[in-house]
Order: sequence, then C-alpha cells, then structure tokens
Amino acid sequence: MSNTGRSSANSWLMLLLAGGFEVGYALSVGGSHGFTRLSWSLVAVVFFLLTLWALSVALRTIDVGIGYAVWAGIGAAGAALLSPVFFDEVLTPAQALWLGLIIVGVVWLKLADKPQSAKKPVETPRGAEGIDARL
Amino acid sequence: MQWLYLAIAVVFEIAVAIAAGKAEGFKNRKWTIVTLVSGAIGTYFLSKALLTFDVGVGYAIWTSISGIGITLLGALFFGQRLNWRKAIGIAAIIIGVVGLQLSGAA
Repeated sequence: MSNTGRSSANSWLMLLLAGGFEVGYALSVGGSHGFTRLSWSLVAVVFFLLTLWALSVALRTIDVGIGYAVWAGIGAAGAALLSPVFFDEVLTPAQALWLGLIIVGVVWLKLADKPQSAKKPVETPRGAEGIDARL
Repeated sequence: MQWLYLAIAVVFEIAVAIAAGKAEGFKNRKWTIVTLVSGAIGTYFLSKALLTFDVGVGYAIWTSISGIGITLLGALFFGQRLNWRKAIGIAAIIIGVVGLQLSGAA
C-alpha cells in the first residue's frame, strides 16, 4: 500500500528530525553548565520539548525499541561530531569508529523496518482448512 | 546512592519512550504530560547520578540499559515484533553509543 509506505517514510524523517533536536538538547544542556546559564538553559528547554514532540510523532508508526535506539544514537553521534565545533573538543579516531557503527545501525534499522511496513497482507493458503489451526 | 539515582533515571527514561509512543504527537494530553514530566524527572536523577559517576560512563550505562529495557518491554507488552534483523540494528547502535561515551565524547 502506497499510503503505508509514505507514512513510514514520513515517520523516519520525523525520527531523524527528533535525533537532530536531541543533538541540540545535548549540546545546550552541556553549554548551560548544570542549568546555571540562563540563555543556554532556555534553549535546552525548547529543544527538550521539540525532541520529545518529534519522537512522539515518529513513534506513531515506528516500534519503540527501534525509535529509541535511533533517537539516542543520532543524539550521541551528533553531539560527538558537533562538540568540537562548539566547545573546543577533539574527535578521536576511536570516537569516529563508534560513530560509524551507530550510523550503520541506523541505516540497517531503516532497511529492516521498510519491508515489514510495506509488505502486503499474505493470502492464506487454500486447501488446508482445519489442519493448520491444530498445528 | 549513585546507583539508585541511575536506576531511577533509567526507569523514567523507559517511561519517556513508552509515553511518547502513546502521546500521538502530543495530541493525547494525558500521555504528553507523562512524557514531559518523566523526561524532566529522569534528567534530574541522571544529573544527580552524574555528580559521582564519570559523565561518559554514567551516560553509557543509562542509555544502554534504557534501550534494552525499552526494546524488551515493547516486544513483551506492546506486541511489537522483534526479529533478529531489528535486534542486530538496535544492538549495533547501543554498542556504538556506549563505545562513543566510554571513549570520552561526553
């Protein structure tokens, strides 16, 4: 069904967006220094609302286990990538390796999720009435 | 005591994910409130735990146990089919997050 396929694609888009907001949340919480800086703290609260809203929209069609892993994975990967830009930190080769594993996992889950939601209902085989129910 | 804080933070993180799934994009008011309140309480207890835990280690334990718990609860109580392909993908991401945080990203 094309409708199911489209809503699944939208959900994944929303899940990636939620991951992006999670990155913003992680960075602004870090920048708020334990919520002692007002401007960073306010930004963190905004991202907190946005990330949970987007996650909630995505989870309407995506399994919670998959959705959470992708959301947390993008959040961690994005924060590791962008921390050097904002906070004078460096990205080590080991971190880049783990980052790669997260990205592979996200892509893998997207591919594993697709056939399930796009699959048409399988017709029940005929000529086996009454037998398969007992097996 | 820091283990108790971390355990409480895990419980609320699991509650966030389950409630966010039921909040229908914040259209269901009750579950939206559960999502936001759980998120705030979870963040508070995580920050308490991170006062003693090393930040990277604390985050690694928190996300990994939460992720495994959410996946198992989703499969056990919410009828979400877990096959080996999904399990591998979820495991890869969780391992990646743990590795990233243990190698000092946070």
